Amino acid sequence: MLCCFLSLTTHANAQSQSVSGVVSDESGVSIPGVSVVEKGTQNGTVTNIDGEFTLKVVSKNAIVVFSFVGYKTVEFQADVNQNMNISLEEETLGLEEVVVVGYGSVKKSDLTGSVSSVKMDVVPMKPSNSIDGLLQGQSAGVQVVSSSDDPGEGATIRIRGGSSYRSGNEPLVVVDGFPIGNAGDIKQISPSDIESMEILKDASSTAIYGSRGANGVIMITTKKGSKNSTEITVSQQNTISEFTSDLNLWRDPVLMAGLSNESRINGGYVPLYIGANDPNGVYYPSVSELKSGSWKYNTRWDDVVFRTPVSNNTNVAIRSQNEKTQFSLSTTYFTDEGVYIEDNYEKLNANLNIIHKVYDKLTVGTNVIFSKGERNNNGGLAYWRNPIFPVYNDNDASKGYYMVGTQDYSHPIALTENKSNTTEFQDFLGSAFAEAQILPSLSLKSQVNYQSRRSTTDFYNPKVYTEDGAFNNGAGGIDNWESNEIVAETFMTFNKTFNEVHNLNAMGGFSYRYKKDRSSSLRAYDFLNESLRSGNLSSGNPEKQSVDNALSEEVMYSVMGRLNYVYDSKYMATVTMRADASSKFGENNQWGYFPSGALGWKMHHEDFIKDLEIFDELKLRTSYGISGNQEPIGAYLINSQYGEDQYYVNGSWQTAIGPGYVGRWDSQTGKKLWSGIPNPDLKWETTRQFNVGVDMAFLNRRLRVVVDYYNKYTDDLLRERWLSPSSAYDLMWVNGGEIKNQGVEVTIDGDIINKKDWKVSGTLIFSKNKNEVMSLGDELAFGLSEDPNNGMKYEFNGSTVEAFRAVPNILGIGEAVNVFYGRKVDGIIQTTQEGLAAGLEGKEAQPGEFKYVDINEDGVVDENDRTVIGDPNPDFTASLNLQVSYKNFDLAMFFNGSFGQDIFNTKAFSEPSNQPLRWTQDNTTNDYPSLREGRSLYMSDWYIQEGSYVRLQNVSLGYNIPDLGVSWFKRGRIYMNATNLFTITDFDGYDPELGSDGIYWGGYPKLRKWTLGVELTF
Amino acid sequence: MKILNKITLGLAFVMGLASCESLDVEPTGFYSEDNFYKTVEDAEASLLYAYDALTLTSYAPVTYYLTELGSDNCIVKSDEGADAQAFVNWEVTSQNELLTQYYRCAYIAINRANAVIENVEGRGFNEEDEKRLLGEAYFLRAYNHFNVVRAFGLAPLQTSLIDQMDETTAPLADNMQVVYSFLIDDLTKAVDYLEVNRVTGRADKVAAQALLAEVYLFAASAKESGVSKYDVLTESVDNLYAKAAEYAGYVLNDQSEYAHDNSLQDIYDVNKPDGSEHIFILSMDRSGTSEGDYSKLSKYFIPWIAGGTIYLKNTDDSFSPTHDGWSVFQTTSALISNYEVTDNRRTQLFVSEIYDASNNLTGTVADGTIPYEFTRKYIDTEFSGDKTSTRPYLIRYSEVQLIYAEATADANGLEQYNSIRRRAGVSELADLSGLSKDDFRTLVIEERQRELAYEGDRLWDLRRKNIVQDKVTQAAGLSPEEVSFYPIPQRELDLNPNIN
Repeated sequence: MLCCFLSLTTHANAQSQSVSGVVSDESGVSIPGVSVVEKGTQNGTVTNIDGEFTLKVVSKNAIVVFSFVGYKTVEFQADVNQNMNISLEEETLGLEEVVVVGYGSVKKSDLTGSVSSVKMDVVPMKPSNSIDGLLQGQSAGVQVVSSSDDPGEGATIRIRGGSSYRSGNEPLVVVDGFPIGNAGDIKQISPSDIESMEILKDASSTAIYGSRGANGVIMITTKKGSKNSTEITVSQQNTISEFTSDLNLWRDPVLMAGLSNESRINGGYVPLYIGANDPNGVYYPSVSELKSGSWKYNTRWDDVVFRTPVSNNTNVAIRSQNEKTQFSLSTTYFTDEGVYIEDNYEKLNANLNIIHKVYDKLTVGTNVIFSKGERNNNGGLAYWRNPIFPVYNDNDASKGYYMVGTQDYSHPIALTENKSNTTEFQDFLGSAFAEAQILPSLSLKSQVNYQSRRSTTDFYNPKVYTEDGAFNNGAGGIDNWESNEIVAETFMTFNKTFNEVHNLNAMGGFSYRYKKDRSSSLRAYDFLNESLRSGNLSSGNPEKQSVDNALSEEVMYSVMGRLNYVYDSKYMATVTMRADASSKFGENNQWGYFPSGALGWKMHHEDFIKDLEIFDELKLRTSYGISGNQEPIGAYLINSQYGEDQYYVNGSWQTAIGPGYVGRWDSQTGKKLWSGIPNPDLKWETTRQFNVGVDMAFLNRRLRVVVDYYNKYTDDLLRERWLSPSSAYDLMWVNGGEIKNQGVEVTIDGDIINKKDWKVSGTLIFSKNKNEVMSLGDELAFGLSEDPNNGMKYEFNGSTVEAFRAVPNILGIGEAVNVFYGRKVDGIIQTTQEGLAAGLEGKEAQPGEFKYVDINEDGVVDENDRTVIGDPNPDFTASLNLQVSYKNFDLAMFFNGSFGQDIFNTKAFSEPSNQPLRWTQDNTTNDYPSLREGRSLYMSDWYIQEGSYVRLQNVSLGYNIPDLGVSWFKRGRIYMNATNLFTITDFDGYDPELGSDGIYWGGYPKLRKWTLGVELTF
Repeated sequence: MKILNKITLGLAFVMGLASCESLDVEPTGFYSEDNFYKTVEDAEASLLYAYDALTLTSYAPVTYYLTELGSDNCIVKSDEGADAQAFVNWEVTSQNELLTQYYRCAYIAINRANAVIENVEGRGFNEEDEKRLLGEAYFLRAYNHFNVVRAFGLAPLQTSLIDQMDETTAPLADNMQVVYSFLIDDLTKAVDYLEVNRVTGRADKVAAQALLAEVYLFAASAKESGVSKYDVLTESVDNLYAKAAEYAGYVLNDQSEYAHDNSLQDIYDVNKPDGSEHIFILSMDRSGTSEGDYSKLSKYFIPWIAGGTIYLKNTDDSFSPTHDGWSVFQTTSALISNYEVTDNRRTQLFVSEIYDASNNLTGTVADGTIPYEFTRKYIDTEFSGDKTSTRPYLIRYSEVQLIYAEATADANGLEQYNSIRRRAGVSELADLSGLSKDDFRTLVIEERQRELAYEGDRLWDLRRKNIVQDKVTQAAGLSPEEVSFYPIPQRELDLNPNIN
């Protein structure tokens, strides 16, 4: 210090003088790499590794500017006489926050579009193995549904409702500038590596991604080097899960058998439980045998099949930064157990990120992610198996499995021990960029991204216990899949303020994308010796082997540009344009253009608002633009394509090729659906979106409100149309149909208590989306049905529910997407006269049957008496985040709710809980029909239930370890977390959180997860 | 747009990517009109694709739902779907999914045949190959159209390959005269182009002659019996019969490759698809990997017994194993009672007793173990799981004999008729005295039921003779139109503006 002082004095005597000192953050930790510049000159330096700097200043009264990314820039009067100890304040959430948008970033205050920003350090630590789970409830207009608890399974994410009829409603995910794919399956990015996520919602924000942006864009920024010296962070999470409710299975075989007999007798069938062999040779005890206890088996199959799953998540990260280099290496090891025995998942992620300043004006960087994992698939075991059957013969494991008849392919233990199905995957994502500051106001950035993903599935179905294996005398196979994608992008950014009031930020660039998918599958059957399973497929019968492979390529060129103009920090305008050319589309529509524009007005900078002294912020935003979606379709639909099969001629198989190929298999009937007519006019779906929003802050920014209204109109929907069967084809892809989504999103943020020790804050998010099918394309071409009673044109959408021989959901013009269509039920028929009078006949008019309503009042109840009977879309969704902290303790609670949606409960009358409530002569209820085997079920409103719910999705309690006063320990945190604690709902089934079709299939309950975690930084 | 293109290319050049890829992605994973039909081998593969359509699971098995369930031969099991029940109950509507499948598959096969016709003519292949390929393609086009006509009456006639959107809405044929001219035209060409050349699973000249005889016979008897829409045929009934006799005569007299097989057992031996009777038999083999390549036809006819292997007693007192089935097509007592008790086709080709591996009797129809007497025509003793080589018998020599008998209804015909009865071990008819041509033809129809039971012919016979309502009580009360034709599928009506 004395040295410094002396040198200062020396310099002071010379004409140029020096200032020096130390820059640190608020907690006193020194910051290296801070830019220290004498204001108004080119004269500057950066702080060294200990945060120290020395700067020769020209003027004794110089103003010195200290700036560093992530901190507020400060200016100080140079003081040559003493050491300057500068404390930089971290840039807090709020006005000066910078958010990432496509191909650049902007100050949040200058945003004109609708963008939500989620900083991960304020999201309560939630156990999640993928980004999907983290997004839930974090942003208005973002709907995250996790309808599966399978290990490693993603979630369904929708931004502002689905805008496509078919698949392809997933938003685009962009990681550090790399558009890597669709949300829902982003397993390569570990949540702990994420710094922030931005969700681009309106067209002004998404149009920069053109034909891939229509479903919204999620921008992910990963953690880079730490701001201080080297930091090592270790975090460990362990989760244990349990069912949220008991399983609804038969526990009382006497009741089960009695009801089964009753049902079969009512249906005119021979009852099963009569103490005799059924036609399959399986002995079913009589009800009295069960009652007397002489039949000794009552197996709880769920105890056999399910377990208490435990998962483990370990992350170690090393991050470092000096003047020139930012470095981050993070590895995550994750294991997850499914609720089924032996149903396991594990993955290892490694993420290396280096950014290096080669010269002052040239920065290069690379990000490499490697992810590998394995899934042992043992899901879907028969927890629903009949309890009267034991697991083993005589309940003795040494006597072998108890099989039900000779064609029993669902014995859970036999399958677990004999069948195999394993998938291994490896993903590599790499990107490299170079950014040059050509002029102070002009920079050029080039980024090349590459991803290579592959998976291999091995399976073996043994000769006994599996159907496939039994039919083929053993069946094994290997499926390989690989996908390679390159995205190369170069863009220039110009940023300059003219005359201090005109700020212009312009971006222009181009992008090239190439994607190639390959798959192959090997099959072998008829194995002599089963011990090698799929390890040596050639040991199967050589005459019964088969191979199959496929390849598809896509190319896209794009040009894009954006102009941001801010006048006087008050008025803002953004114009965006992107043009895409895609190989998926034909000559006539190869180029698509996606323009957008937005305006913003910071009214709080106007005197008349200032004078009100109400608003700390009042900003109006509006935007309009066009974006596209090409996801629903595959490559080559513009091309002629022939099919292939084999025909057995003269004792050998010969290849057969010709027009018509199997486009897909009907998911329910398993029938081949034939395609083969090319459509050269095919193009992307187009979404036009209007958005108007207002950002408000009150009470010294302690209360912040964001309100947005949007109106999304999607047309040229990509869909498959049916062709007349005499054409020899079933389906072809066309553009046709229009859909409208409009909605309101409100986010209210409040710092309720903000004291030194006590902090309470809350975020309330409200989203309302209403969609409507406006058109389904040409009525004839699409083969629309017509409601005979009100003339509504509609088509069925989605999958068939086998028990009802019906597709429950329709797309009906003027209706919301996926409304339920079927009959109405007016209670239960009590007398045959009543049934006949209602227009029913035969068995359906008998007492105990559903009294279907003759809607068109023509005296007969038939298919013409169907109407819209429910809507699976919620009226609105809401979530509430509450955060409380006291000293080092913090508590976060997250409530999530969805209101007004209907559920088609396929299990409303087929579960042990509801079957005993049946109608009988003695129990002439009006609520449940009689049990009758063989009853033809019709889709009806009797099965529609209200699905509203409020759920305590997450509670997290944490303790931040205080400064221990040792140099090797920086900070630490211990926390407990519980998800899915309770749900308030009227719904009968296990859980009301379902896919967008609102169909409840039963299954097993959701899981409640308890997590204990610790995170230490050294 | 041009400018933007230039900008893109210019910028791409900067990145050194300009020459990497163009926007046209050359498909390398499948054949298309751009890279196919270059050689005779391509054309051959294309023809096999047309044959392969006949093996589609929504075509081959579905045939029996239409032709057998709608007739007096069998009923369907009680828990089979409503669409199947509808055939038994004569409540088939245009929405019937099985009907739609059958219709659709016939046209898939037709389109594949048209692809051959369109891409073989004038490609410069040698004449022999060209004629063979074309002959088989014309045969297949006619064969499938004939299926459509028998099932649906007037329907679209597809005369060229459909591979563009604007070709997908063909109108119905104007009338039956147009339909039959078309069928006869195709088959005449096929007879012309083809040689006698037996290949299991494929058709040759004899198959074309046999099918043409069948077409003429159908036309003759339908016009004669006053079947709806057949009155417009310009040719007289007698001439039509004469033509049927002529072409059946070629099969019986002018070739030596195919012949009457004296052993009933051999005809239905799954390992003898090249037996002398089989003029046209579908080729499926248990070594296939997906249904259609292999056959599950046996499962439809054999009843559910105990889910395991059962053994059938052979005429030589040996035993043959088979899997059991799904009990889909259940023999009616009406069919059984149409056989004399000693008819070999009843005693040898219907099963009423089953055995176990040690040859012990395990059940009979009488004791209720077997729900109905089931046919032995579709049994594969070398079955593997559900996979069998049981094949639909598309044209048998015996059928041509009966066509000839019915068409001529004279002493020559009687000879053929007696040949069939002789093999069955039942009394022959000494002469035609006291029998009108009509009477004799009625006898032939009865013989056809016994001889061709479960070979996909019965409903067509009932229809062309206009006797559906005499034989099938469930069809009572229907209009002549409803009896003679199934409705055109609703999906066709909905999607084809040229039909309604």
